[in-house]
Amino acid sequence: MTGKGGVGKSTVSAALALVAARAGKRVLVCEVNAQERVAALLGAPLAGPVIQEAAPGVFTVNVTPHEAMREYGVMVLRFRTIYDAVFENRLVRYFLRVVPSLAELVMLGKILNEARAEEGGRPRWDLVVVDAPATGHAVQLLRVPSALVDTVPGGPLRHDADWMEAMLVDPARTSVALVTLPEEMPVNEAIELDAQVRGVLGMHRGALFVNAMPETRFSPGEEARLAALVEAPPPLGPAARAARLQALRAGQAARYLTRARAALDLPATVIPLLPIVEWGRAAVERVADAIEAGAGGGPA
Amino acid sequence: MNGIKESVGPRRVAVCVGPGGVGKTTVAAALALDRALAGARALVCTIDPARRLANALGLSTLGNVESRVPEHKFAEVGLHPKGELFAMMLDVKRTWDELVTRHAPDPHRRERILRNRLYQQMSSALAGSQEYMAMEKLYELATDRDYDVIVLDTPPTAHALDFLEAPDRILDFLGNETARALLGPVAGAGKLGLRLAQLGGGYIAKTLARFTGQEVLADLGDFLQGFQGMYDGFKDRAAAVHALLSRPEVGFVLVTSPTPVAIEETLAFHERLHAESMPIAGLVANRVTPDLWPGDGPLPGAEALSRALAGVGGGDDALAARLAGTLAEHQALAAAERRALDRLFAESEAPRALVPRLESDVHDLAGLARLAERL
Repeated sequence: MTGKGGVGKSTVSAALALVAARAGKRVLVCEVNAQERVAALLGAPLAGPVIQEAAPGVFTVNVTPHEAMREYGVMVLRFRTIYDAVFENRLVRYFLRVVPSLAELVMLGKILNEARAEEGGRPRWDLVVVDAPATGHAVQLLRVPSALVDTVPGGPLRHDADWMEAMLVDPARTSVALVTLPEEMPVNEAIELDAQVRGVLGMHRGALFVNAMPETRFSPGEEARLAALVEAPPPLGPAARAARLQALRAGQAARYLTRARAALDLPATVIPLLPIVEWGRAAVERVADAIEAGAGGGPA
Repeated sequence: MNGIKESVGPRRVAVCVGPGGVGKTTVAAALALDRALAGARALVCTIDPARRLANALGLSTLGNVESRVPEHKFAEVGLHPKGELFAMMLDVKRTWDELVTRHAPDPHRRERILRNRLYQQMSSALAGSQEYMAMEKLYELATDRDYDVIVLDTPPTAHALDFLEAPDRILDFLGNETARALLGPVAGAGKLGLRLAQLGGGYIAKTLARFTGQEVLADLGDFLQGFQGMYDGFKDRAAAVHALLSRPEVGFVLVTSPTPVAIEETLAFHERLHAESMPIAGLVANRVTPDLWPGDGPLPGAEALSRALAGVGGGDDALAARLAGTLAEHQALAAAERRALDRLFAESEAPRALVPRLESDVHDLAGLARLAERL
């Protein structure tokens, strides 16, 4: 799940996980070195870097470079004591911080490792939702394996980059969903991002989520009548002004939704703008309801 | 209380900071336009403007240089500036290259750095690189040019601290003595391996090389070696930028939207600027839902509205019900935003401005001028 900052990626990720869990699936939601939000949205304590169940069937984790590096290091080196001696070394920490793609690689590695893990002969997770960083950073994250395949001739890093890249570009296993608001900048970014997903990443694009869509509440005739009343004394004037602002916003949103639909050849799920002041589990359940209603059933 | 324009007016540099997606670029452009209208030679340096705003500023051509917003763009919308407005878009990679070119002792060294793979990645991808270069460009513009005022837009940062810490963090990377001693100079990968094995904790370096491959370490060594001797120049420059930011001729304008997430981030920014004694020139709350209902009395129900509608052309119960619901929803949102903003305003004495939603969604010079009126 990716899109411009502030469009509601975490909320939509959490809601999508609930939709899948309602259908009996076991879901993991991964945040990527973020200010953790998903667990709290589901009404659970923050998970940190350890996978925790936030709602029935929905597990969350915040993947951080430090923890992911440790897990990866222990996996490659087999012994925690060696890892601690090497990776807790100050100089090594410095390298890990500055070798640009390493942090991305180990975080992505941890996520994809969960996605391919099996338990008792079946996949550990039916669905892994990645609440990815915003547009540019998401592309940076997802292109790391292919960049390494291009530049690193051999060794454990290359080996891991190979299977990760294969998994990312396999449309049967991985799909990119774009999240946007029906506003100018988010829609423009979604369109540019879509081109990058196709061109730079070569990944399958599965869905477009248009979040917080205001409803068309007043007919053109009513709008015209209300426009003449905005200067009227209360109660009519203030009510007409509120209605006019709602109508303006709905009109703008409709234009940007049309633009997104025309430019992006993707199945669109439109999530209505909900009058929610406090965001929590109940609110996310409502978004999940909207996704179920909009998509005509659970996700594929 | 004075407005933000009055507070920014006497300053030479205004830096717009705040969370992503709140309209920083638009506010920055409006502030610069306002000064240009009043007679100043004003520059706005943007990071990633919306296309229509870029067009309005004549920024359709990219590049790391300033260009003057042409006369006819103003005339088209009936504006007659007494001064001049310039605009530019920051090119992070090019700013890095310029910095390296300025500090490199000779062309050979310059080329060695510019061609290094790690440098190429770092200059576009290293976290904080964009913030660092925004600061660097600001310093260059503030010291080498003769603008009356420069308004800087800043990148949308995930963490409020990135902005002020980025230069130090990147300099820490460039100036790490141990790393340089460990990695350079190297003639070839084999020699590097030998050196790594010889130096403190041989197996540490070897294990590291097993992860990253020798090439990556060789690149890093080459890169750090290339920077030898240039580091002090970089460091002095960063210190000068930091000093510039604390001067009274500089003012930070905090831009936010009234959502809880944006307010949290803005509070973190504010705290940080305050702790660093950076001068705060104003707070702009953008896209605010206006309070439409006078006084504290109860909101009208559908019946009252239907009666009122009857007085102006005909009652309509269905419309009245929707009107009542819309007004109630609107006012609940306005109240929630106001509560969130009060938390921010309680922290600061700085001038503040509330810019209503929609009115801030501007794409031309006339719209920017209207926005400036609100500041």
